[in-house]
Amino acid sequence: MKTMISITKKPWFLALLVIIFASMSAWNIPIEKRKYGLSQSGLATDYTGLLPGKIEQVIPSENIEQLQKIIKDSNKHGKHISIAGLQHSQGGHTYYKNGTVLDMKNMNKILEINEQEKTVRVEAGASWGDIQESINPYGLALKVTQSQSIFTVGGSLSVNAHGRDIRNGSMAGTVKEMTLITPAGEVKKLKRGDQLMQEVLGGYGLFGVIADVTLELTDNDVYSMHTKELQTKEYEEYFHKAVENEKVGFHYARVSVAPGSFLNEMYAIDYNVTGEKDNSTPLKGESAVRLSKFALDLGRSGGRLEDFFWESQKQFSRSFNGDTVTRNNAMRSESDFMEFTVPGRVEVLQEFFVPVDSFEEYINELKNTLPSNDKHEDFKVHNITVRFTERDSFTHLRYAKKDMLGLVVLIQHGVNDKQMQHAENMIQKWTEATLKFGGTYYLPYYPYQTKDQFRRAYPEWEAFKEQKKRVDPNEVFVNLFYNHYLKD
Amino acid sequence: MEKNSQRLIPLIVTVGQVVIFPYYIIWLKEVSMSFTLFAWLFAVFSFSAAWGFRTYSVKKPDSSAYISAIYSGMGLVYIAAGWMVFPVEMLPYAALLMQIGLGFLQGYFRAWHIQKPSYRVHAVHHYLLVGIIMIGLSFVKIFSPSIFLILFGVLLFISGWW
Ligand SMILES: Cc1cc2nc3c(=O)[nH]c(=O)nc-3n(C[C@H](O)[C@H](O)[C@H](O)COP(=O)(O)OP(=O)(O)OC[C@H]3O[C@@H](n4cnc5c(N)ncnc54)[C@H](O)[C@@H]3O)c2cc1C
Repeated sequence: MKTMISITKKPWFLALLVIIFASMSAWNIPIEKRKYGLSQSGLATDYTGLLPGKIEQVIPSENIEQLQKIIKDSNKHGKHISIAGLQHSQGGHTYYKNGTVLDMKNMNKILEINEQEKTVRVEAGASWGDIQESINPYGLALKVTQSQSIFTVGGSLSVNAHGRDIRNGSMAGTVKEMTLITPAGEVKKLKRGDQLMQEVLGGYGLFGVIADVTLELTDNDVYSMHTKELQTKEYEEYFHKAVENEKVGFHYARVSVAPGSFLNEMYAIDYNVTGEKDNSTPLKGESAVRLSKFALDLGRSGGRLEDFFWESQKQFSRSFNGDTVTRNNAMRSESDFMEFTVPGRVEVLQEFFVPVDSFEEYINELKNTLPSNDKHEDFKVHNITVRFTERDSFTHLRYAKKDMLGLVVLIQHGVNDKQMQHAENMIQKWTEATLKFGGTYYLPYYPYQTKDQFRRAYPEWEAFKEQKKRVDPNEVFVNLFYNHYLKD
Repeated sequence: MEKNSQRLIPLIVTVGQVVIFPYYIIWLKEVSMSFTLFAWLFAVFSFSAAWGFRTYSVKKPDSSAYISAIYSGMGLVYIAAGWMVFPVEMLPYAALLMQIGLGFLQGYFRAWHIQKPSYRVHAVHHYLLVGIIMIGLSFVKIFSPSIFLILFGVLLFISGWW
C-alpha cells in the first residue's frame, strides 16, 4: 500500500496518467461538431447550414390536438408554418422567413405492431431507427427506407425517399393508412388510393402535417453480399441481370471519381436472399467511424490520394464478399463518418436520375462535363453511388417517371459568392446533361437548379401547384423550397 | 526581477486566474460541445496540475524555480485561447493540449507559491480582490470572452519578464 501511495506521488507516474487520459479524451472527441438546426431565438438552418433564416418560433409537437390548435390559429391569423423532422433535407424545406416551425421529433411513438398483417403504426416523428428497434425482435423489417436509418418517417414520406431495395417500389407505395392534419386544422384518416394521401406523399410538408402512418412490413430476411468490379460500360447489362435475378433483393453500385479511373470503373454490390429469416441478430450501431472518416478525408484531398481511396474502397468491398447481413442491418449504414466541418466550405448532396438504358451514354456525357482531376478545383466530387428507383406512379413531383438509376453525389465547395456561383454553374450544367437524357434531379437537396430546369424536370409542377392552392388556399404551410420553386 | 516575481506577481496570477476563469470556461464550453468532453477537459487539467505540483515539490531546494517561464507560459496559453484561429475541427484537440499546459503550470506555480513567506498575506488579499473585481466586471458588457483572455494572457506574459 505504501509503495502504491509513493508511486502515485512520482512525477513520472502523474505524467503517464496525464498522457493516458489525454489520449483517451482525444480519441473520444466527437466527430459530429457541426451546430445546425433549430434555435428558439435565432437563425434556423438545416443539414448544410447554407440557408440560414430568421424564424419566429419553434413549437415542439405534443399531440394531434395541440397541432390542430396551432394550425387553426395560423390559418385564421394568416401565419405561416413549416414542418421539421430531423432536418436532413438541405434546401430550406423545414423553415420559412419569420414563420413557425413545428418540430415533429417528440411525436415518435410506435403505436402498434401487427405481426399477422405485418404492419406497424407509428407517429411521424419516429425515425426509421426507432421503428427498427421495435420490429427487429419480431423478425420484421421495413420495405423501403434510405440506406441510413437517421431520418423521420414524416420527413422521408414527404420527399418520397428511396434506398437500396430493388423489389418493393416507392416508399409512398408502402403506406397503408395515415392520419393527416389538414391546413384547415381537420384531422383526416386517409387510406391508400385517397387523392389527398397521394398529394401528401412527396408533398414536401405543403399539404398538412402527417401525424401517424401505418406502414407495410416484410420479413427480416438474411442476405449474402456479392461484390463485382466492372467497367461503367458493362454496368447496364450487369444491372439488368441483377433485376431479372429474383434472388437479388438489394443492389447498389459506386462509380469511381478518382482521377486514374474517373467514371470508368465501378463496383456493384448485390444482396442475395438466402432464404433464412432472422429475429435474433441485434441491430448494428456506428462502427469504425474514425477509420472510415480518415479514409474519406484522404479521398477529399483529391489527386493521388483519391486514387488510393478508390483502391481501398474496392479492397473493402472485396473483403465482405460472401458475408451475410440481415435486412434491418442492411438498412442502417453508418453516417457519422461523413461529418465535414471546414469553415468556409460545405459538403452537399445532389442526386440525378436517368433512365436505366441511358446510363452508359449519360456517363460518357458526364466525362465531358466534369473535370477528371479536381484536386485544384474548388468544386470537388467525392463520391457517386448508383441506386435503382422503380417507376413511381404515386406522387406528383415524381423523379422516377420510368425505371431510373439515381446517381447520389457528394460534392464539396466553398461558400463565398464566387464559389457558390461556380458550384451553381457546375450543377446546372450537370442537370442540363441529365435532362438531355430524360432524367430528373432530387428535390430534398440545395436548389442550385433554375426554375426553368425544375419545370422541365417536373412537368407536373403545375398540377402540384393547383392542388396546393385547392388544399391550402391561405398558404398556411410554406417553406423556402416552396418559395424558391413554386411561388409566383 | 526576482523580487517582483516573488512579491507581487503571484498575487496577480492567483487573482487574475480566478477572475479570468469564467471567461475561460465560456470559451472552453463553446469548444467542448458535450458535457462529457467538458468534464474530461477539467479532469486532464487536474491530473496535469498534480503532475506540475509534484514536479516542483521533488526539486532540490536550491535549484532554479523557472518561475518567470511559468508566468509567461500561462500567459501564452491564455493568448492562444483568445486568439485561436484553428478550424472548428481542431479546436477540441487544441483545448486538450491547453488544459494539459495550463494544469501543469498551475500546479507547479501553486507548489512554488505556498513555500513563499508572502503566501498567507496573498491569500487574504486574493479573496478580497477577486470579490471586488468580479463585482466591477459584472457591469462591463462584453461580446466575446477572447478579448479578456488575450488581455490577461499579455499581462501574465509581461509579468514573466518584469
Ligand atoms: C446523409 C444523407 C443521406 C441521404 N440518403 C438518402 C437516400 O438514401 N435516399 C433518399 O431518398 N434520400 C436520402 N436523403 C434525403 C433524405 O431522405 C431526406 O432529406 C429526408 O427528408 C430526411 O428526413 P428528415 O426527417 O430529416 O426530414 P426533414 O428534412 O426534417 O423534412 C423533409 C420534408 O418533410 C417535411 N416533413 C417532415 N415531417 C413531416 C410531417 N410529419 N408531416 C408532413 N411533412 C413533414 C418537411 O416539411 C420537409 O419538407 C439523404 C439525406 C442525407 C443528408
